[in-house]
Amino acid sequence: MVSFQRLVCMAYSKIKLPASVSIFILFGFVLLSLQLMSSATQESSQLGEMYSWLLVINTIGSIILLGLVAINAYSLIRELKKKEAGSRLTTRMVSLFVLLALAPAAIVFYFSVQFLHQGIDSWFNVEIDRAMDDALELSQTSLAQRMNWHIKQTRQMAGQLQNKSETGIALEIGSLWNDSGAIEIAVFTSQGQILASTSTNPSDILPHLPDEQIWLQLRQNKEYFAYNPGENDEMLVRIIVPIQRDQSRYLQVLYPVPVRVTDLADSIEFAFIRYQEMTFLRDSLKTSFSLILLLVLLLSMLAAIWVAFISIRNIVAPVKELVKGTQAVAEGDYQQQLPVMSQDELGFLVESFNQMTKRIARSRDETRSAGLEVENQRAYLETILANLTAGVISFDASFYIRTVNQAAYRILHIPVSHFVGQTLQTLATKHTDLAEMLSSIQQLLEKAEDIWEQRIVFLGPNGRQELLCRGTPLFLQNGSRMGAVVVFDDVTDLIQAQKNAAWGEVARRLAHEIKNPLTPIQLSAERLQHKLAKELPETSAEFLQRGTRTIVQQVEAMKRMVDDFSEYARPSKKQVEIINLIELLQELLALYTPSGIVFKSSFPAGQVLVEVDPVSIRQVLHNLFKNAQEATNTPCHIDIKISKAIRNNVEYVELAVYDNGSGLNTEQIETIFDPYVTSKNKGTGLGLAIVKKIIEEHGGAIWVDTSYNDGAGFVIQLPVFEFRNT
Amino acid sequence: MDKLKLLSCSVLLWGLWSIPGFADDFAAKVRTAKLVENPNGYSVNADIAYHLSPTAQEALLKGVALAWDVFIEINRTGLLLNSRVYQKKIPYILQFHALLNQYEVKSPGQLEMFLSLNAALNFMAAVQTHAIDKNLLNNNDSYQLAVKTEFNREFLPVPLRPVAYLDGQWFLSSAWFVWPIQK
Repeated sequence: MVSFQRLVCMAYSKIKLPASVSIFILFGFVLLSLQLMSSATQESSQLGEMYSWLLVINTIGSIILLGLVAINAYSLIRELKKKEAGSRLTTRMVSLFVLLALAPAAIVFYFSVQFLHQGIDSWFNVEIDRAMDDALELSQTSLAQRMNWHIKQTRQMAGQLQNKSETGIALEIGSLWNDSGAIEIAVFTSQGQILASTSTNPSDILPHLPDEQIWLQLRQNKEYFAYNPGENDEMLVRIIVPIQRDQSRYLQVLYPVPVRVTDLADSIEFAFIRYQEMTFLRDSLKTSFSLILLLVLLLSMLAAIWVAFISIRNIVAPVKELVKGTQAVAEGDYQQQLPVMSQDELGFLVESFNQMTKRIARSRDETRSAGLEVENQRAYLETILANLTAGVISFDASFYIRTVNQAAYRILHIPVSHFVGQTLQTLATKHTDLAEMLSSIQQLLEKAEDIWEQRIVFLGPNGRQELLCRGTPLFLQNGSRMGAVVVFDDVTDLIQAQKNAAWGEVARRLAHEIKNPLTPIQLSAERLQHKLAKELPETSAEFLQRGTRTIVQQVEAMKRMVDDFSEYARPSKKQVEIINLIELLQELLALYTPSGIVFKSSFPAGQVLVEVDPVSIRQVLHNLFKNAQEATNTPCHIDIKISKAIRNNVEYVELAVYDNGSGLNTEQIETIFDPYVTSKNKGTGLGLAIVKKIIEEHGGAIWVDTSYNDGAGFVIQLPVFEFRNT
Repeated sequence: MDKLKLLSCSVLLWGLWSIPGFADDFAAKVRTAKLVENPNGYSVNADIAYHLSPTAQEALLKGVALAWDVFIEINRTGLLLNSRVYQKKIPYILQFHALLNQYEVKSPGQLEMFLSLNAALNFMAAVQTHAIDKNLLNNNDSYQLAVKTEFNREFLPVPLRPVAYLDGQWFLSSAWFVWPIQK
């Protein structure tokens, strides 16, 4: 795309005339036109005929230039309003140019007009006026004298021709012609009939008879005398007078005017007329010259301003492109490549800009790919962290929580992610049940300078929990602390499994090591009783009998205990089937009706199908109900609730059993599910341990509901097969 | 915006209307024109009334020569367009001679001197053409005689020409006057 633009620019620059040539041609036309008009103002110039056209052409040229300037100015104003790049610089440069060019030109124009007007005024003054008038009057007087003299002479000649016949007149005018020096003498009647004539020019057969105008004047004034133009620019005096006694005859005499006199008269008349004309044209001359000056100024100024617009636009064009390019770069478009229009400093600047954008684009791409890589790594780590079974919480240098993974919520049962940016102390104030555990972690974080590991036991919402925490302080390369990370895992089940395994081993050993000698002990005691009872005296025999009975009873007791252990340690033989837990409970509760226990049940509508061994589940419930009954002095009330729960995207049924007994203290809660833990005088302490074992064998969990304070509360969670609505 | 346009148009129209050049107080008028048959053919006789404005009279007395061109046309009338069959241009130049205190009228082949301006204008008023060939006119067609006189501003001195195109004092031309030619 960029290369295409460059090609277009190159092609355009090849077709288009260089700006300088165009400007020279334009100024050439302007100067030629003005020169022609200036020449046309000279009267002698042949261009005078073209003056009006030149004036019109120059005026139209001025109007066109004015239009071009106006269009450019309008365009510039629009660009300014749109705040286009480079418009303000162009405006500033054009304004400066116009100001610099207009001010001196206006001053020159003003003073030129002043000088011109004063110069024209200086041509005229009163003395010349008077001299011209006097010269003309002198000429007129001279001609009038000559005229008067010729009139007198002609009248005398007319007197000589009085009372003469036509023949006499013909003879007389010959002598008169010789004496008078006239060119032509003619006698004609009032009807225009020629009676006699004589002329210096032999070729003139007919005399120059008066025309209608002369006849008209002759009839009005009886006489006619005037200077008439003759042939070859000479001047003639024509005098026509009537021959007395006979008004019907006229004498016409044509006198020549000496050439010198004619020339002088013409010269004086020409000068006078010329001066009079100039006087008349005085204001028109001023207007005309001022108009030409104004046109010169207008054409020059407008042409200069227009050329200034073009030149400044050409100069500003690279700057404009640079501004646009810079704006594009500022907006993040690093693909901008500007066309290099010239090889000067601006061209160098544009080339440097292009290189800069290329480098920025390359760096941006590299940074983007690096960032993408980092992002991928981060996402990968986040995925790993999110899917870790261990909880991970990272802290900054001030021990504010930065990141938390999903497992933290699963282990602690609190939304730690909502407390990002806060301390563990803040978290502890919101969740007081975990305050002790969180405070101990906070203390360990603050104190530790190296990796630490700590087991922390706390009473969570699901009962006793044991966490294995490992903390690692994080340091920067310069050694300053940048934060810490704590990884913790819920090892409650692991510990429990270890305990169970240990108890199973104990039970197996008891069964093997203790139960085997019990039978010989019991048999030996019974044989002693059987052999010696008859031989001993009655008192001794009675003592023996009590002793052997005690031995047998204790051995039986020990056997039962060992059997219980064996049963606890022995893997159960489950026969699982899908049953409705609600039905199972209802059957079981029906059995307890005679026992006096008051049950309060809350079951959801429909069926809760679970895949369990119904015998084992019945044993679990029996144990719980039996414990409740034994722990209650007053009438025993048991609340049973069944609800739905989701844990790790798996549906569970929660079966809660609450009694109104003496309840459990904190220590009891911690060890309630351990074997041999009991608060009763009788009993092996294996009841709840077996309950827990059965529940866990079914993939469920059981815990003490520590939030229930009106007695003991147990919550059993079992995987559900289906919640079926009726 | 519309009000501004209306105002601008009004000012422009007023300006154009107020230009003195539109006045025709001093325009010449062709009073009569007729085609006269004579033995050599036809000739056109026209009578034109010239009225010189004060400025024109002053210019004349100051030595400025004034020129008119009389145009005579004979057109054959058509249904849509007329066709020209005869055209004649007769130039007249009127000038004042201060020395002789006479007015000179120049026309092709003629130079006449007059003691008064009226006499000179009367001479110019009577226009007569040379003989026109009889064959130019066909009896079956109808014709129009068109006459006008046009003041030649380009004959004026150069400084006066721009003013002459704008000042009503110099609008001395006549319009075309058209007469149907009677058969």
